[in-house]
Amino acid sequence: MQAAQILINALVLGCLYACIAIGFSLVWGVLNVINLIHGSFIVLGAYLAFGLYNALHVPPWYAVIVAAPLFFVLGYLLQRLLLNRVITAPVLVTLTLTFGLDLILNNAMIYFFKADYRKLTLTPSLGSVSILDVVVPVDRLIATAAALALTGLLYLLLRRSRIGRAIVAVRLDRDAAVLMGVNVPSIYAIAFGLGAALAGCAGVLMALIFPISPLTSSAYLGKAFVVCVLGGLGSVSGALAGGLLLALVEGVGSTFFGPSHATTLSFVLLIVFLVLRPQGLVGRKGFE
Amino acid sequence: MNQSWVARRVRKFALLSAAVLALGAQLSAASAEDVIRFGAPLPITGALAPEAVKQQQGYDLWAEQANKAGGISVGGKKYKVQIVYTDYQSNTPRAVQATEQMISQDNVNFMFGAFGSGAAKAASTVSEKYKVPTLAATASSSQVYDQGYKYLFGTFTPNDTLTTPLTKIIKAKVPDVKKVAILARNDLFPLAIAQEMEKSAKAEGYEVVYSEKYAIGTLDHSAALSQIKSLAPQWIFVTGYTNDLLLVRKQMVDQQMKASVVTMIAGPAYQEFIDALGPAAENVSSAAWWHPAEQYDGKDIFGTTANFVKLFKAKYNSEPDYGQASAALCGALFQMAIEKAGSLDRDKVRDELARLDVVTFFGPVKFGANGQINSLDPPVFQIQGGKPVVLFPQAIQQGDLKIGVN
Repeated sequence: MQAAQILINALVLGCLYACIAIGFSLVWGVLNVINLIHGSFIVLGAYLAFGLYNALHVPPWYAVIVAAPLFFVLGYLLQRLLLNRVITAPVLVTLTLTFGLDLILNNAMIYFFKADYRKLTLTPSLGSVSILDVVVPVDRLIATAAALALTGLLYLLLRRSRIGRAIVAVRLDRDAAVLMGVNVPSIYAIAFGLGAALAGCAGVLMALIFPISPLTSSAYLGKAFVVCVLGGLGSVSGALAGGLLLALVEGVGSTFFGPSHATTLSFVLLIVFLVLRPQGLVGRKGFE
Repeated sequence: MNQSWVARRVRKFALLSAAVLALGAQLSAASAEDVIRFGAPLPITGALAPEAVKQQQGYDLWAEQANKAGGISVGGKKYKVQIVYTDYQSNTPRAVQATEQMISQDNVNFMFGAFGSGAAKAASTVSEKYKVPTLAATASSSQVYDQGYKYLFGTFTPNDTLTTPLTKIIKAKVPDVKKVAILARNDLFPLAIAQEMEKSAKAEGYEVVYSEKYAIGTLDHSAALSQIKSLAPQWIFVTGYTNDLLLVRKQMVDQQMKASVVTMIAGPAYQEFIDALGPAAENVSSAAWWHPAEQYDGKDIFGTTANFVKLFKAKYNSEPDYGQASAALCGALFQMAIEKAGSLDRDKVRDELARLDVVTFFGPVKFGANGQINSLDPPVFQIQGGKPVVLFPQAIQQGDLKIGVN
């Protein structure tokens, strides 16, 4: 029974990890930008959910509707006004730029919200459902469902819509896309906006689960990074696969070797992947 | 290229600030006749910065109060308090350097210890060499005080004084506790507390069914908690900092874990822990070196605990915790020792510190032969009705232990 519980824990946690990572993966895959501001976007999303719930009693699953357009605009503008200027420069330049932006956003949050840990506590609480002896918290289930829905939406968007095809085209061959009449700077901005929107939504959902503080942004960013390397960049299913693998390794590692070695194990796995399978579980050079 | 530019700028800035500091020191030295200078090396930048800010708040509050009352009176003459801060950048060797510099160049009269046990121990070798009385506000490990030093004193009792009374209370009040599970953050202080807890539990005849550590920055505890749940311990003991403990407690509720006793160190000492958890904080027990709910009537400058809390809130608009209180206490103790000695002579003040036997807002203060305080019973408390309620020591007890955490 304990094995079933650990498996369920890992499945749910894996979907949360995917939710954290998917926007990061999109931006990295399409723009080749390692977006260090991603973690702070998630935290900002969490504060949005916290504020909306405490001021207006808007539960987080509705707050997603507010967060998505808001963060899309924020991301779009950031890319249009700042990142597009250096997008063709070597990857270190965009890395440094997003690092700087992250410092600004993170410290602004510390200034305005303080570094105190807060918690979005729903009243009445959602509780947990138990089947036989296996317990699953409802808030995690909601976040899991939302993560799967967001992943599905993104997949459909990239596959079916004109904009999605354009994003994929830019990713596959930037020069050819230009020749086909794709407005590359605009596509970049849309992709970054989507990445930001996904981060914001992830933050809203994580607010139900994790303590909220600007100091947690690096933890989110770290997980997103590992998930992307494990799952493979740019592909929608990659984030999901990477998230599940990471959660499974952490859960099993924690049970058999103690929780302090769970992280060690996940980083050993990271190194193994970097050496033996740098494209990740399901990563491809381009994606469909 | 970039880096060297930054490095040059930093160096230039450092030199400039050093020059300004030196100038400031000279100026104040010119009018130093009626000032007592206290050196305070603190990790103002770097990983320990939040802790340094807390200690600084404690020192500043004391200095403000002392100066407001005219200063420290030495043989009928009033001396103003001045605290000289140095940032050792969360880097212990620099704490040693900073201490050396403060004593030999900045001419401080007395020293406050560096933050934590490690840095305080390292820096104490310097102050001992120069025979400068030093009060360490946040050094609890007994290894700091077993060096045979004469000039080092500390206001935190050893770590086991937190876990032993707790274990005794549980033993007496909750007879059905047989199995204990311990989950500790893999970090200096949380791990030390967990080790003491394991010793205390074994000494009382409890079976420790689970004792593991989790890595710093762990985002999920479900695997560890599932395992603990399957072992069905009656007492779950978790150490860590606020973020860890919030997450652990939330996940315990998620997994519908129940236990007769749940103890967490050091989150519940902070108001933000209670605010963030709401009902889930109920009946969680903890221990700390000091708590604002204590009610001592002290002979020091702050007087009662309530008065200290009031002054602190007025200045910083937040509830003080044991770190800030201990820093303020160190100042207040120096003041008492200096006034008793009636002199700024370091040896005389040292002897008065060693002789102290007094009640303060922090509790009774008396130093053992090794310099570490031995008069204090660190309070055990429990969150009841959204408020911390002191269970021990008896003199300041506010309520009884409530059994059962759901």
